[in-house]
Amino acid sequence: MSSNNVVLGRGSGSRIGPGGTPIAQKRLNTSKNVLLKVVILGNGGVGKSCLMNRFVSNHFDQHSFHTIGVEFLNKDLEINGETYTLQIWDTAGQERFKSLRTPFYRGSDVCLLTYAVNDKNSFKDVSMWCKEFLTYADVKEGATFPFILVGNKADIAEEDRQVSKEEAQVWCKENGNPSFIETSAKDATNVELAFRMAVERWTKFEEKMDRHYETEVVDLRSVKPPERVSCCFSANPALSEE
Amino acid sequence: MNNGDKLSRTAETDKTETMEDSGEQGTELCSHHNVILKSYKNYDNFGVLSLVQYGPVKYIEWKAAEVNVDSDTQDQEWAVVSTGRSSRHRSNSECIRAEPLRLNTVNLKSFKVSRHRHGQHLTFAKRDESRSFITFIFYQANADIFVKSLMGHLKIYRSKKDKNLYHLDEDDNQETQELRRSFAELNLFTETTPYGMWNFIGQFRQRPYETTMGAFCKITDALLYRPAEDDEDDENHVAELLNQSLNNFDDPVIANVSGEEYEVIGSHTTPVLPSRPLVTRGSPLSVDRWAQAMDAEGKVTDFAAIKKIVFHGGVSPTLRYEVWKFLLGYYPWNSTYAERMHLRKAKVEEYFKMKQQWKSMTPGQEERFSDFRDRKSLIDKDVKRTDRVLPFFAGDDNPNVEVLNSILMTYLMYNFDLGYVQGMSDLLSPILQLMSNEADTFWCFAGFMERVCTNFDMDQAGMKLQLQQLHTLLSVLDPQFTQYLDRHDSGNMFFCFRWLLVLFKREFSQEDIMRLWEVFWSDLPCPNFHLLFCAAILDSEKETLYANNSGFTEILKHVNELSMTINIDSTLCKAEGLYAQLLSIESNLPDAVRIIIGLEPLNATAGDSEDDDIEDDDGDASTHAEHDSSIETVTLGALGGEVAFDRGINLQYL
Repeated sequence: MSSNNVVLGRGSGSRIGPGGTPIAQKRLNTSKNVLLKVVILGNGGVGKSCLMNRFVSNHFDQHSFHTIGVEFLNKDLEINGETYTLQIWDTAGQERFKSLRTPFYRGSDVCLLTYAVNDKNSFKDVSMWCKEFLTYADVKEGATFPFILVGNKADIAEEDRQVSKEEAQVWCKENGNPSFIETSAKDATNVELAFRMAVERWTKFEEKMDRHYETEVVDLRSVKPPERVSCCFSANPALSEE
Repeated sequence: MNNGDKLSRTAETDKTETMEDSGEQGTELCSHHNVILKSYKNYDNFGVLSLVQYGPVKYIEWKAAEVNVDSDTQDQEWAVVSTGRSSRHRSNSECIRAEPLRLNTVNLKSFKVSRHRHGQHLTFAKRDESRSFITFIFYQANADIFVKSLMGHLKIYRSKKDKNLYHLDEDDNQETQELRRSFAELNLFTETTPYGMWNFIGQFRQRPYETTMGAFCKITDALLYRPAEDDEDDENHVAELLNQSLNNFDDPVIANVSGEEYEVIGSHTTPVLPSRPLVTRGSPLSVDRWAQAMDAEGKVTDFAAIKKIVFHGGVSPTLRYEVWKFLLGYYPWNSTYAERMHLRKAKVEEYFKMKQQWKSMTPGQEERFSDFRDRKSLIDKDVKRTDRVLPFFAGDDNPNVEVLNSILMTYLMYNFDLGYVQGMSDLLSPILQLMSNEADTFWCFAGFMERVCTNFDMDQAGMKLQLQQLHTLLSVLDPQFTQYLDRHDSGNMFFCFRWLLVLFKREFSQEDIMRLWEVFWSDLPCPNFHLLFCAAILDSEKETLYANNSGFTEILKHVNELSMTINIDSTLCKAEGLYAQLLSIESNLPDAVRIIIGLEPLNATAGDSEDDDIEDDDGDASTHAEHDSSIETVTLGALGGEVAFDRGINLQYL
């Protein structure tokens, strides 16, 4: 996937990195690269794939296909001297594919909730997407998880607009204050900024978690490793019938 | 680790004595190659599983195939029971890895065949209170063959409650046997008190354990213990969750061996494929040949021959317009010119009637019909994102985009239960480009949807089944690669999802996809040929995946990026070659594979009513409910009879 230098920053749900080393400690080594898993969610046709493609390859395809299954792309981003590798996941939005989409939420570090400013329904459904994400991502700190609300297609004529900035801001206030930005994948407005905000949001979230974590660190270390389950206590139910 | 060490030492002691009594030379009663001894993370332990008789006692014996099977890990994870006379004082780590693992059949209570991601598992349970177990993996899913062999040599009776569970009755104590049988028949003890009876019988027996079974505790421990670092691996988690969603591989499903049937014993090896024959493509169906195929009235008399030509070479582009209507079931092969004219007239009329239904929906109706409204809105969005790079759909306000929209809307009214699902516009687009005519296109599309509608099931059961079937085929075609996928969290085959959902529409150019589809529509050489086509693509890519040691995400990325790089002709040749390979070992193919490629299952036993009640003995009925439906074909197929076979065929998608 990436070089050995990459440290998984993912999985805010789990505070311990591979081998039992706290992620926070690993991240202190600034020569390393942090891999962040970013999931883009939203109704069909709001421009999820276009946002991803604009950000990753600075390219916009007016006639791009709708996504089938799951796709992802990687892109490096440098912020404050630190390099982040964003692994951006783009999924098919239709309800029918829910069961094959939601497993990919697991381990996300940031979630972009997207709608199109000319599509009122897509804005209404943002709450649904937020809920779906929290249900399946197994995020423990749901209330403070780094969400970014993205209103795409900001390039449209003003008379076609169905969702105002004010409405979006109200939604943010009522839903844990995620960052909010309007973008246009078509004319490139704010797209990179949206992903930068995502990383910054994650950084803040992590710092908060680190502080939280450090107060707990002693406790955690004193926790015994998980006990092995002996065969005698967990029989294989498949083999017992009598 | 636990008291396993002590127990295994004891076992060694007992064992040594036993072996010295009976001498080293045992008689091999039956054996099966390429069986893996399951440890908790190592699937490389290939070996031979056999039933060997030493004196009066029969042992299930497993020997590693190669001496260089590692292993320190092995030694730590289970005690290898040694046959050696000097082994008595050996520590575990000194155990010779090439030495076999022996299980005295007297001490085995039961065994069970279950279907897993890694083929079939054969799990033996020990008779004592620990209820520990040991699992062997038959990655080619042919454990049932071995079980049949065992039946010829051991006293085995099949559970009344679970057709995949078999009880062993090798205890030579007649009294105990009688008791056990009558208890089992009385069924006094429920599953919740499983070994109460055995304790009870144990008191009757008053017999010391003789051999080897101490090793079990350790093995079981290793099986159950999951290292903590696994929990940190999100990729692993994603794959696990996906597996749950796909919900396929971890349930006991197949392997119906009829309980009373005894079969000739012999050394049974897993099928090895012969080398792949060279296959070449033919030329497309020509105008002349097509004209020849029709009689004076216009009936296509030898349509089987036509299909053969189509399979080997496709259809000449100029003929597609006509031939596709037959291939897609719009026109019956045996219809006359006159009948077709008549039929077409009626169908066109029907189409516009249905079109009128959604056209005449008032805004007020729509407002109160959210299901309709949502689907309409999604169709509207998707047609604007379907093949717009092609000249046929290019540009703003292209009328063809509007036609695409109309046909999908009409299909919505034609089959509202299925509705509109993303992917359908991809399937429709090439047909529209070819037919141009709206109503003809609709009926051809409807015929195509007949073949693939299960891809769009609400519960995705059709997709899940196909992914599973692909895994099953691969496990015979290329066990090594299948194991690689399994080990890299990709045994769920999810990376083939897009291929299967829209039948490679996103992977090929317009011309190629038309060719590929018409080949599939010939229904030759077997059902599910598209799955062999998947296997053929993967065969060309596996070396790259090996070289990069690709894991779940890398495999997904690699496969996604193959789009527009696959050579259709060479892949079709390879897929046909794979089919020929399977056919050449036909009689050795596991039923699961036979059913997929349209062969009658071998273990079919008609009228075995016991098989009808399929029990979910894993206790978690809710998570398995979905699975049961998706696997219906296989189960039914394995039950045998022509009816079951027919149902299997009906569920084929191509």
